[in-house]
Amino acid sequence: MAHKYKEPAIEVEGLRKVYHSLVAVDDVSFAMYRGEAFGFLGPNGAGKSTVVKILTGLVAPTKGTVRILGQPVSNLEMRRRIGYLPELPTFHRWLRAREFLAFHGRLYGMRGMVLEKRCHEVLALVGLTGRDNQKLGTFSKGMMQRIGLAQAILNRPDLVLLDELVSGLDPVGQRDMRDLLRQLKSEGMSIFLNSHQLADVEALCDRVAIINEGRILKVGAPQSLFDEAPVFEVRVNPVSKELLHRLGSVALAVRQDEDDPCLLYIEVQKDEQAADIAEVVHACGSRLYSLAPHHRSLEQLFLRTIDASRRAPVESTQS
Amino acid sequence: MGLLLITRFTLLEAIRRRLFLAVIILSILILTAFSILLSIVINTSQGSNDNGNDAQLQLLAGGIIITVLAIWMVYLLSSTLTIVFTANMISGEVEAGTFAIIVPKPLTRVEIVLGKWLGYALIVCIYTALMFLSFLVVIYRQTGYWPTEAPYALGMLELAMLALLGITTLGSSLVPTIVNGAIALMLFIGAPTASIVQFIVKFLNPTSLQTVQNISTVINLVIPTDALWHGTSFYLLPPAADFAMLGLSPQNFNTPFTSGQPVAPALLIWAALYCIALPALAVLRFQRRDL
Repeated sequence: MAHKYKEPAIEVEGLRKVYHSLVAVDDVSFAMYRGEAFGFLGPNGAGKSTVVKILTGLVAPTKGTVRILGQPVSNLEMRRRIGYLPELPTFHRWLRAREFLAFHGRLYGMRGMVLEKRCHEVLALVGLTGRDNQKLGTFSKGMMQRIGLAQAILNRPDLVLLDELVSGLDPVGQRDMRDLLRQLKSEGMSIFLNSHQLADVEALCDRVAIINEGRILKVGAPQSLFDEAPVFEVRVNPVSKELLHRLGSVALAVRQDEDDPCLLYIEVQKDEQAADIAEVVHACGSRLYSLAPHHRSLEQLFLRTIDASRRAPVESTQS
Repeated sequence: MGLLLITRFTLLEAIRRRLFLAVIILSILILTAFSILLSIVINTSQGSNDNGNDAQLQLLAGGIIITVLAIWMVYLLSSTLTIVFTANMISGEVEAGTFAIIVPKPLTRVEIVLGKWLGYALIVCIYTALMFLSFLVVIYRQTGYWPTEAPYALGMLELAMLALLGITTLGSSLVPTIVNGAIALMLFIGAPTASIVQFIVKFLNPTSLQTVQNISTVINLVIPTDALWHGTSFYLLPPAADFAMLGLSPQNFNTPFTSGQPVAPALLIWAALYCIALPALAVLRFQRRDL
């Protein structure tokens, strides 16, 4: 597949991590490109967090190579250009919000008015305006996530790694964070999103990787990862036996909805067969009310991929 | 630069902790109580002694003993502060998960460990120096005794604190906070045991003294704090001429808790290396640690 993003933001090759005798990550390879939002999906214990920790230098790999923005993880100049928010972040509770951001800003090499101005900016971006002097110990879980994101984007990073960003947020907070991530992406920031919120990943991410039991199962744009044939949702009336018979002859399979008999799910070999379906409906004297591709969610893809991997070893599909 | 930022952050964190405030308040209370009690004792003893010369000598002898006892208390207070303050230096951050957003920043793990070490070293050394000088000033005002080699005594005391800090630094990079605290405390309490046993054996069974001395040497190598305290106590004593005036000799101060001779140079070099080597080992360990 030709990527519109050419330069890799993250390159992972043959990554393996063994804790004592437990293999947490096994031969993981993938690339994430600059400017894209990349979703990293997997059930609990799949090895997601271990990979994220390796990417951020918190954990050393047993084997394999990792390059972030073209540099090894240990490169300090590269680290100035990344931001990271861990899952369920714990911060120094005795710090005030402003002090917290100022400390992390200084670690990035920011100073003086530039730092002060940026602190105010990021507090506003994450919806914490006016909380400058509030101690982190008094912050709610959602506010902790927000201030955590503020420190992750404080240095205007080229790449931000977010681990379960919205886990502590209420619905309004989740929407705000989604909007903010879209804004950051539109500004050219590369976003690596490790999340269980599949709807968020689907809405934001250009590509996803699905990992289970330490191995990458699939990598690619969500819609390109569906292995099964396209399905159309067709609403017609009346649904005669002849109609079903003739549709069956042009389609791979026809299924009538159990609750709504006028709703048909028609599986075809290719999208272009939509015209054939419309033709058959008219030929049979039925009225066609709607004909649309059946939406296949990332959740379906995720669950099917994980189920399949549990049933049998899955060949990894990469694109 | 990262090192100094971490040092500054560590100092700020320590000052903001309630423990710090408690230590400051309690230290002032102890110093005040000591000052009042000493004043009462000196006034009472001077009132009961009419002979001017004897009173002077009594005051000098009292000043020497009180100085050694008071600085021994400073040694215990500073050691306790060092263990309590620094047992969670690295392990506390790892356990709380606060390192997760610091370690990925553009600074090395060496800077993180040494920055924290330096912050705590400054706190411990400043506290020890302030307490040491405060007690000496109080004693001087009451008794007129000021140890001529006080700077050396302070140096020994600071070295003992840095040795203890080295232990907690290394421990906190290896084991959880509670285990580290327990180990440091047991080592600290266990160190004088060798001196006590050595003192008892000297009277009861001098033939096995050499074996006990060898064991003491090993203990002093493992944890040199007690040996350094003995060195401190030596430098708190007056010059030999003053001893003669009192009809004493420095040998009279060879007890399990004090020493009439300085620390052997080899042990002093070892203690200095110890203060450097343990934090260095902590750095090595932390660099390889998965967080």
